[in-house]
Amino acid sequence: MYYLRMSNKTKPLIVILVAVVMAAGIAVYWSKQSSASGAGANASIEANAGGGHIRGRESATVTLVEFGDYQCPACGYFYPMVEELLRRYPDKVKLEFHHYPLIQMHPFALAAAKATEAAADQGKFWEMHDLIYKNQPIWSRSPNPEAQFLAYAADLGLDANKFMRATKSPEIEKRILEDIQRGSDAKVASTQTFIVNGQSLDPLPNGVDEFAAKIGVVPPTSK
Amino acid sequence: MKFRAAAIAAVGFLGMVDALYLTVMRGVRVPCSATGGCNEVLTSEYSTIMGVPLSVIGLVFYVTVFCLAVLDVFEVAPLLKWIFRLALPAFVVTLILLYLQAFVILHFCQYCLASAAFVTTIFLIAAWPRRATQNLN
Repeated sequence: MYYLRMSNKTKPLIVILVAVVMAAGIAVYWSKQSSASGAGANASIEANAGGGHIRGRESATVTLVEFGDYQCPACGYFYPMVEELLRRYPDKVKLEFHHYPLIQMHPFALAAAKATEAAADQGKFWEMHDLIYKNQPIWSRSPNPEAQFLAYAADLGLDANKFMRATKSPEIEKRILEDIQRGSDAKVASTQTFIVNGQSLDPLPNGVDEFAAKIGVVPPTSK
Repeated sequence: MKFRAAAIAAVGFLGMVDALYLTVMRGVRVPCSATGGCNEVLTSEYSTIMGVPLSVIGLVFYVTVFCLAVLDVFEVAPLLKWIFRLALPAFVVTLILLYLQAFVILHFCQYCLASAAFVTTIFLIAAWPRRATQNLN
């Protein structure tokens, strides 16, 4: 009744205020429902996956497990953050990388994973891993990324014939499939999943400082 | 009743909810059953402009359009022209974002596609020739 007696200039302000509050309420409720439904919140991960490629000191106290897809833009986005983390806290953090190529979405992700494993056979996994992540925007848009990977192998001084043979070997495919199986066992919902102490990092951190706080290498309040 | 402005207000409200949701969920993996590529799009380098998340820019746009449309409905002032002036650049940005999703990021985000539909609808309603709809206005 009070609303009907309001002036025509007050009514729209009330409508706007009510609508904005309603929109905020719906959005917050919706976001809580999304989080509760576990969209990527892998609460059931019970242990680190084991295996994989390790970067950093064996004695480091925190093992950051990554299930990565070389063609996933989000993985490329987090790559420099992880590298900075390893550089800043060499005594505290080590990375355990596992392949988790989503081949339905990323047609070249498997070829990229094979290239890193082929480089691993010649002792250069991390060097190829770095090159592939750093150049993701280039090769992922190339019609023939295998040629790019071969060029990276040449840049790293790898034996090109061995490299090419290795990329086609069933042994390498088996290694990648085992990683995918580990990811499935760990209930990895998507690529660019980080796991620390059996818990998936969700929400993902914004920036290296938050990342360090989330994995417990610095106190949560420090910036 | 001013149907064009009322329709824009309704779509603007939906846009507000969508943009607010994406703002609240920033940095969190969102459910993406329809298109599968939301997280790739939302964490891509194109998800911010000079450090400002696109969802926040979208939210400002929708709130502004909603306010203008409500003021028009209540005949405080005829503001459809102003809505059109806002919706035109927003529509162009929407086309650019659709291009980026299709050809650069190579993934689609269902929330961004919904927002694209909202902006396009607002633009079309605001751009519709007045003569064709004068009976409705």
